[in-house]
Amino acid sequence: MLADFLDAHERHWTDAEGLFAAERFANADHLYGMATECGLKRLMMRFGMTVDEKGNPTKRQDWKHVKDIWARFETYRSGKVEGVDYGLPTPSPFDNCSVDDRYAHQSHFDKVRVQSHQTGARTVRNLVAKAQREGLI
Amino acid sequence: MSTFDQILPIANEVLTTHHNKVAQLDWLIINRDLTGRVRFIAPELSKEDEPQRADVEVVYQALSERLMPHAYSVDAGILYEASLELACQGATHYTLGGFNKVWIVDRLATEANWAHMVPEIEGVPRIVFFSIKGGVGRSTALAATAWSLAQAGKRVLVLDLDLESPGLSSALLPPERQPMYGITDWLIEDLVDNGGAVFDDMVATSNLSHDGEIHVVPAHGAEHGEYIAKLGRVWMPKLRADGTRETWSARLGRLLQALEERIQPDVVLVDSRSGIDEIASACITDMGANLILLFALEGNQTWNGYRMLFEQWQRAHVADKIRERLKIIGAIVPELDRVSYLEGLRESAYGVFVDTLYDEIAPAKPEAIGLTPNGEGKWHVGDLVEGWNFDEADEGAPHYPWGVNWHRSFAGLRSLQGRLATIDAQEVQSVFGSLIGGVSDAVDLRRPS
Repeated sequence: MLADFLDAHERHWTDAEGLFAAERFANADHLYGMATECGLKRLMMRFGMTVDEKGNPTKRQDWKHVKDIWARFETYRSGKVEGVDYGLPTPSPFDNCSVDDRYAHQSHFDKVRVQSHQTGARTVRNLVAKAQREGLI
Repeated sequence: MSTFDQILPIANEVLTTHHNKVAQLDWLIINRDLTGRVRFIAPELSKEDEPQRADVEVVYQALSERLMPHAYSVDAGILYEASLELACQGATHYTLGGFNKVWIVDRLATEANWAHMVPEIEGVPRIVFFSIKGGVGRSTALAATAWSLAQAGKRVLVLDLDLESPGLSSALLPPERQPMYGITDWLIEDLVDNGGAVFDDMVATSNLSHDGEIHVVPAHGAEHGEYIAKLGRVWMPKLRADGTRETWSARLGRLLQALEERIQPDVVLVDSRSGIDEIASACITDMGANLILLFALEGNQTWNGYRMLFEQWQRAHVADKIRERLKIIGAIVPELDRVSYLEGLRESAYGVFVDTLYDEIAPAKPEAIGLTPNGEGKWHVGDLVEGWNFDEADEGAPHYPWGVNWHRSFAGLRSLQGRLATIDAQEVQSVFGSLIGGVSDAVDLRRPS
């Protein structure tokens, strides 16, 4: 299937919000991470990340999960006039994440942990909305 | 295929055709993005309301068909936001003529939008010297005005904001008096919260005046350093720790306030960059200037430029927030036929002001004109006709020029430092008298001595 980072960003966000409201924190956490990753990848495409015919990044360094994509995003944003207002806060709220979290027991995911990831995902969501208003995507 | 200038007229036509659908919405934004393409931004509630959502899509479909390539497909061309304020944030916005709930939001690649007007400040008078074209003697006139105000005992603060073509400070300061840093250095250091390192060494006092003081803040310091590398960064907004953003012109405003607090001047004179430029916009619209002097040479280039600017103010409904602060300056008025030259200049200026910034005053209604009802046999007009307008010959009107005469000894800013040091007041008066008199009156009016 063809990758569509914008659509994936939106559906992951919507479902994450639904799961969070239902206090299903473990999977909400996973989807906030996915929403963030997809939103940033869509913005990175605008700032110069190349993709193949299936819509996947052509560079291996861009095949990152949420923990590393936060920093990778800066590589594409910097030096672009239109990227000036698209800075991400540091440190990343996803620094405490790992790809292996998806295999962890749900008792490890409490509300406070997930809320910080929700905030991070919302930051990216606001940037995506701003990019749409400004016609960058 | 439409072009950019057709966006607003077409939008107006399409929305008029569908006015019933538009009227159902709390608000609607016609969003012109950075690439000049249009999207709708509609209230989030209308996204959930099926009939309203369908209406928005129908109207956008009709608009996008006519606007292509300045539009998107329907599925990509409509965004939804929770509030109007949020959707307009940080961009120029104004209502579309004839629709009080439809807003045009313009997103520009530069921060200068020329339509955000900071009201006149209450404190020390700030006077901006601006010209639509360069090379009209603007900086020379500013230097002479500063000298004259200082001779009259005033404490004058002068800012050289012609950052891309600096030079004013060399007219007012001999090389040995140039301070170590300038405005550019402060704007760069401020980005890393280090403005304090240069603040105390960016102002010098001129030795030209003996009775008052001229404090000069140059564009760059005695050692200009890597000026181009610095200039490329002065426009940077500053991101605060809490994620909020301070535009570069807001940073400049903060610098000016700090300078005023430190120097306690009686008046601030600002040399603006010429043309429709980023710095000029900050000087004219963002500084809360009390008087904005518009230097003009008689000719189409000048008036076409001012017309573009004034029309933007008219379109954005902000003309009334700035027009009272404007004054045309007849620059380098030639030696021959001065009177007829100035008359021609006045006539051209009047034409542009009448078309753009002055209110149109409609004649009184015919039924309001007639004999007085008390039977005295007198005629009267029973209709109050009001508006902000002037006669062409009204000397107090913004379009009526203060002239600066051409004079061989003042041609060229470079020699000014030498000229002002030896010149007599009478000579300055004969060249710049009208300007100096006008500026002095404006300063005294705000700060009675």
